[in-house]
Amino acid sequence: MIFKIAFRSIFRNTRRSMTTMLTIAIGTAATLVFGAYTVYVTYGLQTGTVDRVGHLTVYRNGYFDFGSGNPAIWGIPHYEAVLKLITTDPQLKPLIAVATPVQYLTGIASNSDNGESRTFIGTGFIPSDRDRMKHWDEYDVGGRGDDTGLRDDDSSRGIVGEGMARVLGLCGQLRLGNCPKLPTGAPSDTAAASDVANLPKQDFSDLVSRDAPATRKGPSLPRIDLLAATAGGAPNVVDLEIARADPQGVRELDDIYVGMHLNLAQQLVYGRGEHRATGIILQLHRTEDMPRVRARLAQLFKQHGLDLETRDFAEITPFYTQALNLFRSIFSFISIIIGIVVVFTVSNAMGMSVVERTDEIGTTRALGVRRSGIRSQFLVEGILLGAMGATAGVAIAFLVSYAINQQGITWTPPGQAQPVPLKLYMFGAWDMIGTIWALLIVLAAAAALLPANRAARLQIVDALRHV
Amino acid sequence: MPGASNGRQNEARDGAVVRLDHVAKTYRIGAVAVRAVRGVSLSIAPRRFTMLIGPSGSGKTTLLNLIGCIDAPTTGTVTIAGQNVAKLSDNALSDFRARRVGFIFQNFSLIPVLTAYENVEYPLLLTGVSAQKRRQATLEMLEAVGLKDQRGQRPNELSGGQKQRVAIARALVKRPDIVLADEPTANLDSETGASVIALMRRMQTESHTTFIFASHDPHLISHADDTFTIRDGEIVASGAAA
Repeated sequence: MIFKIAFRSIFRNTRRSMTTMLTIAIGTAATLVFGAYTVYVTYGLQTGTVDRVGHLTVYRNGYFDFGSGNPAIWGIPHYEAVLKLITTDPQLKPLIAVATPVQYLTGIASNSDNGESRTFIGTGFIPSDRDRMKHWDEYDVGGRGDDTGLRDDDSSRGIVGEGMARVLGLCGQLRLGNCPKLPTGAPSDTAAASDVANLPKQDFSDLVSRDAPATRKGPSLPRIDLLAATAGGAPNVVDLEIARADPQGVRELDDIYVGMHLNLAQQLVYGRGEHRATGIILQLHRTEDMPRVRARLAQLFKQHGLDLETRDFAEITPFYTQALNLFRSIFSFISIIIGIVVVFTVSNAMGMSVVERTDEIGTTRALGVRRSGIRSQFLVEGILLGAMGATAGVAIAFLVSYAINQQGITWTPPGQAQPVPLKLYMFGAWDMIGTIWALLIVLAAAAALLPANRAARLQIVDALRHV
Repeated sequence: MPGASNGRQNEARDGAVVRLDHVAKTYRIGAVAVRAVRGVSLSIAPRRFTMLIGPSGSGKTTLLNLIGCIDAPTTGTVTIAGQNVAKLSDNALSDFRARRVGFIFQNFSLIPVLTAYENVEYPLLLTGVSAQKRRQATLEMLEAVGLKDQRGQRPNELSGGQKQRVAIARALVKRPDIVLADEPTANLDSETGASVIALMRRMQTESHTTFIFASHDPHLISHADDTFTIRDGEIVASGAAA
C-alpha cells in the first residue's frame, strides 16, 4: 500500500512531479554523457599511451629515477637473454602481445646542407615491433596513427617530429604542408651549426663509418647527422635518412624527437662495444593483466639475480595520470553540482507535498500509522521520484550518446597528434551507469529525508486542523 | 446512564469503555493559555450511541481527541477499554488506535489517491489482516454502507454523503472498541446528514460498537442513547435519551 500511495501521490500534482523528474533526468543524462566522455578519454589516452610506450617497461634498476640524463650507461647488458627469459616464460607468454627492446639517447642533430642543428631525444626501436604496438586497441578507440614506414632490414632510415623537421629545414624535402616560413632577418646560428656539422670529420676512435649516399637506391631522402656521446664518453656520429616527419602531439617532444632503428641507436651509443638496450617494452593483450605480469617479472628477476625494475605506462608518462585526473575532477565537479540541484529540487517538491498533505498525514496517523510509517511514506516517494527520473535520464543519455556516436565527429585528444573519432562510451560502462543511477536515487532519498522527518513529527491534532 | 462530573464529582461506572478522570487540556497560543477542557471526569458505557453536545469552541473536539488518543491531557487520566493511555509510548498509542479506535471526520479525510475500496481496506493493512480476510471484510462493509458498486471510485468521484459513508465503513471495518465522529454531518445537507446519522445508528446497532460523536446540532439528540452537554470546557449536563 505504501508504494501504491507513493506512486499515485507523485502524480497527484503532475506538473510539479514531472518538473522534478525532468530535473533529475537531465541531471542524470548530463552526468552520464560526461561520464561516458570521460571513459572514452580514459580509454583513448590509455590506448595512445600504450601504443607508444607499452604497458610495462623493464629498466636497469635505478634508470627510471637517475638514468634519463645519460641512457647510454644504464643499458641492460645481455638484454636479448632477458627478452628471451620474459617471452618464453609460460606464465607471461600468453599475456604479452609485444616484447621489444628500446634504446633511448640524447645528442645533437644537424642538417649539414643548411647548417641547422639542435639537440634531440632519440628512440631506437625495431620498426615491425613498433608498428605492431600501434595496432593495440583493446577498447576499440580506433583512429590510430600510421605505421612508422620503416623496415627491420634497413637501419639507415628514421623519422623525426614535425617540429624537428621544421627547425632543421627539412619541410620542403619532406613535403610538409603546414611548415611556417623562416621570417626574413631572423637570427642565424650558421657558425655554431657548422661546428657541429664538422664534428664527424674529426678523428674520434669510436666514430662509425657513415653510410655512403651513393650506394643507396630509390628516391633521395633528406639526411641528417646525429651526434651523441657513447657509453664510454666519446663523441660518435651517424648519418640518418629521414623517411618522414610525424607530429608527436606535444610540441616539446615534436621539436626534438628522432626515431630510428634500434641497431642505429645502439651503433651511435655503444659504437663497436657490446650493444645494450635501455629498456624492454612489454605490451600486453589486456591492461588488467598488468599487476599480474609485473609481479611475475619481479619474481623472475629475483630468481635469476637480475638487477632490473619494471615501470608501468602511468609512471613513465605522468601526463596520462595528470590528464585523467583533470577529467575526473571535472566529472566530479559536474556531478556534485548536479547532485546539489537534484537534492534541492527533490527536497522542495517533497516539502510542498508535505504541506499539501498535512491533513492526510493527520488522518493516517489517527488511523494508526506510526511516525516511522509517515517517514517511510515520504522517503519512498522521494526514492520513486529519483528512480523514475534517473531511469529516464539513463534512457536520454543512451539516445544522446547514440546520436553523437553516429555523427562521425573527430577530435585530437590531449597529448596526441592524430584526430580520432569522438565516441561516448555508454555501452559497456555499466558500472558507471549503475553507480550514477543508484547515487541519484540515494540523493533523492536523502533530499526527501528532511521533509519526511518534518511530516513524521507533526502533531496529529495540528495536522488535522490544517487547512 | 452515563456518568459525568466536573472536577471532583466522578461517577464513572465499572465496565465503562471510556473513562476520564479530572482531565484538563490547556493549549498555548503564543503567550496565551487556552483552557479547552477543564477538569472533566466522565465514563461512557460500551455499545452505546453517545453524543457530546455543545456550541462551537466548547471543547467537544478536544474531548474527542483525548478519547481518541490523538492528543494528551495536560492533567488527569484517560482510560480507554481499561487501558490508561498516558502510559503508552507514541508507537504503542498508534497501534492502540489502529486496533481499538475508529475515526469519522467532519471533512471525511479520505485518502484522495485511494479508491473507496482501498480507503476501507487501509485500516486492515495496518493491523496485518490477511489478504483474504481483508477483501471479505472490506466488501461486506462497503455493501453495508451501500457503496459496493462505487468501490473503484476515488473520493473526488463521490458525493459528500458517499464520502462520509466510506469514512464510516473505514472506521468500522476493523471492528474497533469505539468509533469517534466529530461533527460528521457538518459538511452535509440536512437530508444527507440525517441519512448518515441513521446509517451510523444502524451500524452501531449491528456491530455493537460504542459510538461517540460530537455535534452542535441539538436536533440529533433524539438519535443518542446518552448525551453530554459541554460548555466552556466543562460538562454541564448529561443524561440518557428517553
